[in-house]
Amino acid sequence: MGIPLAQMYAVARYVVNQRLAGRERYPLVLMLEPLFRCNLSCTGCGKIQYPQSLLKKQLSVAECLAASDECGAPIVSIAGGEPLLHPDVPQIVRGLSKRGRFVYLCTNALLLQQRLDEFKADKHLSFSVHMDGGRVDHDRSVAREGVYDTAVAAIREALRRGFRVTTNTTLFDGASPERVRKFFDDMMELGVEGMMISPGYSYEKAPDQEHFLKRERSRRLFSQIFDAPHKRWRFNQSPLFLRFLMGKLDFECTPWGNPTYNIFGWQRPCYLLQDGYANTFRELMEKTDWSKYGHASGNPRCQDCMVHCGFEPTAVNSTFTSTKGLARTVASMVTGRP
Amino acid sequence: MTDTRLMQLVQQAFDYRGYVTVVRHDGSSLVGFVYQQDVAEIAMFDEDATQRVTVPLRDIADISITGDDSAARAQRRWERRRDSLEARETSAWGEWEQRPTLILVALPIELRGIASVLRSKVRGTSASAMLGEHRVIARAVGVGGGAAHVVAADRPSLVINCGFAGALEKSLGAGDLVLASSVRDESGESVMARESVLRIARRALAYTQVAEGELLCATRIAATREDKRILARPGRLAVDLESWASARAAERAGIPWLALRVVLDPLEIDLPRFASEAREHYVPSVVRHTLRGPRAVLDLARLGTRTAIAFRSLRRAMQQLMPVLGELGACEVHS
Repeated sequence: MGIPLAQMYAVARYVVNQRLAGRERYPLVLMLEPLFRCNLSCTGCGKIQYPQSLLKKQLSVAECLAASDECGAPIVSIAGGEPLLHPDVPQIVRGLSKRGRFVYLCTNALLLQQRLDEFKADKHLSFSVHMDGGRVDHDRSVAREGVYDTAVAAIREALRRGFRVTTNTTLFDGASPERVRKFFDDMMELGVEGMMISPGYSYEKAPDQEHFLKRERSRRLFSQIFDAPHKRWRFNQSPLFLRFLMGKLDFECTPWGNPTYNIFGWQRPCYLLQDGYANTFRELMEKTDWSKYGHASGNPRCQDCMVHCGFEPTAVNSTFTSTKGLARTVASMVTGRP
Repeated sequence: MTDTRLMQLVQQAFDYRGYVTVVRHDGSSLVGFVYQQDVAEIAMFDEDATQRVTVPLRDIADISITGDDSAARAQRRWERRRDSLEARETSAWGEWEQRPTLILVALPIELRGIASVLRSKVRGTSASAMLGEHRVIARAVGVGGGAAHVVAADRPSLVINCGFAGALEKSLGAGDLVLASSVRDESGESVMARESVLRIARRALAYTQVAEGELLCATRIAATREDKRILARPGRLAVDLESWASARAAERAGIPWLALRVVLDPLEIDLPRFASEAREHYVPSVVRHTLRGPRAVLDLARLGTRTAIAFRSLRRAMQQLMPVLGELGACEVHS
């Protein structure tokens, strides 16, 4: 498993404390979107289609830190847009690290080498580099030539300077299991700490509406990918989530697990759906009708979703709240099989 | 308008990734982006995305879609592009390219001075910082060149060449600043600084004494008073080894440039012999020089004092230039 012990311990302690405090709903990862502008226009992305004036807008350092304080989640994933387009993103990272948060800075890495000097290697910071596959697949997914090569060069340089680097991969319909497996080998060869993988969500506003995976196809694809997994593959996510992707476990979504904060406020209900915004984190947690979301709710927008932001929190909770879940997680860690 | 119709319009506006115009019953209207709706009101960002406005539903007479649909625009662009990819050469900043200011110096000691102005740390041969939304990169390119390569790689909006120089004009002392109106190389070829750039620099440095004139870029260090006298001409203020390469590289790339040097050795003063050759590190040479006797030690002490004065002066001038970097970078070079 590709998650450092200090981080695992921090998350475990946090979850246990929440349970002891009798909290039914609590966040695990704050999805912080300090801006929506991006230097790529990926075919499957529905996050960045806004008028120019909103794309130019960004959260200040103080707003980002206040959101983290309000939310209290031990992990902060800085997403967007491309966070490295934000001039103050190093200060945001520093402020979050000082608060003991584990920060995943999600980036396409186009600007990583250029801005690496502004960051300090720290166990609390991991660059989570967007990689949707090998050279051909990734460049096609981000719709620009040479992005894979740039990202690989940036990963090498970041690793050389002692930074934690992970990858995050979104798979769409038509992905080849063999090529994905080869890609995992390549990333391990490169020396990344761990990989994250998820099927893409069918954003209503994304340009390409043809290649989003339906639930059954997702399960088939991930079963093929993880059939006889290589021992060297390390994933920066719960093994139970990977089992869920393969269809070996059935989880319900935990939409409050990864609350999202951006220029509009606290997004309802989750990172993927936009049913409006709450002014405070408390309002989001208390005033959202959670029964309207998730597979069991019958909400058509949730039926094909298997994205990590909803199901990884369920997997983590399952590990820490049931003996079976803990045993499965330990078994996966020992055998290297999801 | 019926409640059902109003709710339809509200939903349509909420789903729309563009601006809408909300008309109130009192006849006033508001253009903005609707990001929140509930049973009693809608919340919008105004057209500049600077103000949040809440409009009660009971006040709304009509809502119409009036702005571009950014989701549809992305869709059209994707349809047009389909299987073709953006070119490899597309800027890493995408359409948000903010080209940095590039400050070029020759020596690590000069880079440390610039890094302190930027409140940044030197890493390897560079230091970088964000000044507001403006990115500044300082690089030590070594004595004599390397400028063309980094100008091409960094694609800056402005190139500032700065560092130490030897005076070719009697009135200039250690720590005096020279702003290049032109840079000439030893073959006689010259590059003229742009008046638009100089005007902004003069304004920024208004409270500092700065001499303006020609900089000569030599191929070897003019260490003795004889060397300097040979190079001196009327209107030619100082000599260095780097300005020419960076001014020419910037000029060829159509980038505004500025050369600001600080005098380390006045015209009538010789540099210690070890300083006549450019080196990465001077410590061993300095130690050897001190062994030559008390006079050599005294020379070194004087050089040290002049270096400190020059260093302070350059740092002060660069601090004054920092607020106008954006303005300098926006100068038209080929005007």
